Amino acid sequence: MSIIKVENITKIYNETKIPVHALNGVSFEIEEGEFTAIVGPSGCGKTTLLNVMGGLDHPTAGRVEISNTDITEMKDKDLIDFRLNNIGFVFQAYNLIPVLTALENVEFIMLLQKVAKKERVERSMSLLKEMGIADKADQRPSELSGGQQQRVAVARALASKPNFILADEPTANLDSVSTSNLLDMMAKMNKEENETFIFSTHDQRVIDKARRVITLEDGKILSDVSV
Amino acid sequence: MILKIAWKNIWRSRGRSMVVMGSIVVGIWALLFGTGFMNGFMESYMADVINHDVSNIQIHNPEFTKDYDIKYFIPDGEKKVKEIRNWPEVKAATSRAIVNGMISSSRKSAGIQIRGIDVENEAKATQLDSLISEGEYFIGIKRNPIIIGKKIADELKVKIRSKVVLTFNDGNGDLTTTAFRVVGIVKSSSVKINGHYVFVRKEDLFKNLANGNQIHEIAIVTNSQVEEESIVAKYNEVYKEDKAESWREIAPELALMQEMYSRVLYILLVIIMLALAFGIVNTMLMAVLERMRELGMLMAIGMNKLRVFFMVVVETIFLSLIGAPIGLLVGWLTIRYYQNVGVDLTNYSEGLESFGYSSILYPYLEADAYIIVTVGVVVTAIIGALYPAWKAVKLNPVEALHKV
Repeated sequence: MSIIKVENITKIYNETKIPVHALNGVSFEIEEGEFTAIVGPSGCGKTTLLNVMGGLDHPTAGRVEISNTDITEMKDKDLIDFRLNNIGFVFQAYNLIPVLTALENVEFIMLLQKVAKKERVERSMSLLKEMGIADKADQRPSELSGGQQQRVAVARALASKPNFILADEPTANLDSVSTSNLLDMMAKMNKEENETFIFSTHDQRVIDKARRVITLEDGKILSDVSV
Repeated sequence: MILKIAWKNIWRSRGRSMVVMGSIVVGIWALLFGTGFMNGFMESYMADVINHDVSNIQIHNPEFTKDYDIKYFIPDGEKKVKEIRNWPEVKAATSRAIVNGMISSSRKSAGIQIRGIDVENEAKATQLDSLISEGEYFIGIKRNPIIIGKKIADELKVKIRSKVVLTFNDGNGDLTTTAFRVVGIVKSSSVKINGHYVFVRKEDLFKNLANGNQIHEIAIVTNSQVEEESIVAKYNEVYKEDKAESWREIAPELALMQEMYSRVLYILLVIIMLALAFGIVNTMLMAVLERMRELGMLMAIGMNKLRVFFMVVVETIFLSLIGAPIGLLVGWLTIRYYQNVGVDLTNYSEGLESFGYSSILYPYLEADAYIIVTVGVVVTAIIGALYPAWKAVKLNPVEALHKV
């Protein structure tokens, strides 16, 4: 069953001055449980595509449907709620809340969803355990390595029970060991929990793990290959 | 947890938070002490004028104050004073015979008001004896003693036991001239006591007036907590032929001054609040701009704008809640200390006293002033946080996430 439908998406920046065509008529669908990498050289439109799919940016033309809901016409206020309950985000720079512990960072998104305290703590601990960093629960981001921080970020993304996770260059700041560990964790979550992961990356290690690779070039899909 | 984040956020940049808290502390302290100081300034001036000169209430013949013609005396004045002294609201009352005239020494003359006083009751009502800076309060000179103000003494170049001559209208249209000898010199912050009044015994003045033992003024000192207006109304009801007035009517400039001071205080309040608000806007704006990526992430993962707004405002409220009690405590301690010791302005005493102000001031503050100032500062802090909070919610998550 497809959970994301991207139909003929076009994104033009600076429409009135010097137009930059970031995406040119991109269309594809993502099925539940996919482990997909969107790849391509810098400036090919990977991040723009992820932002449009994640409801962080509006396309100039085309539509994005998530679980049969068209998000392209949604108001910003509704999009915030939609993102909270349907999409998990993992960012290149981890972007954890520096004043909270690892456990609290994971818990925070469930707090926004108004989940009860007991359930929040239990689920956060369970996710940290699955990510192999339960012993770091009480440590702040500044006390964790890059790999550990990114694992907390993945746990946070999974905590809200999203339909899928969008990860924008998640391994860009990690060394090879951390990258390998993180990818193993995500692959395990994908296999065992049927979590859907969509990455934007140009990291070959991520591409090697992906079961589907969509290659972008100049804002267009160059190839869409399932492994 | 948002409260927890807000609380922890204020300690992320300790130096900056300390600056905001410091400005709140200084703002509250300055407001409290400034208000207390102004209160003390105003109150000491008014207390001096009311206690030593005007008194709480004065009674005259309605025609007398128009041009101080001594034929307009208070009928049965002495009898009325005795009755008034028995009123429970009255602490002290004294009678005076008043005539305008001229005082001359061998060197110079000056226009003055001669006040024939009841020596004992005047001391009770106006504590004139406490103002004596040289000589004695009607002791030591038996025949025609006179007390004059320091300014008159300096102008006339007279000292204790110097002879002065008073010239005035005796009530029959004839000028009378009588010699007096200076028994005391008074020094007061009241410009009139220093430079316009001379005090003689009532009976010495009566001897030179044609209309006999008539008085022109009754001064009443009320018990504290008593509203002057109620006694004024009571007197005017009982003795319809006279006119009782409170100090507000007798010396409207005092009431005006009181009003003016409260306006000056409001202006001071607004200036300090504005400075504080700008400081807070600046600091909180820096805090928001510095955390753009984090705020962008929060909005990206689903934190709605109201919560982001609330978080930034709460950070400022926390800063205020820490700063306000410290400011209150420091302000209260400062006022309490100076309330006992007094603020010594003797370096400026000459200038101050020429305007009728005391050179040692005792600041004081009513309890409600502490509440008003605190609420004012906290409200200002919250208002100061609104713009940075608005800037925070206006962030575009995509742009904010890519800020370095």
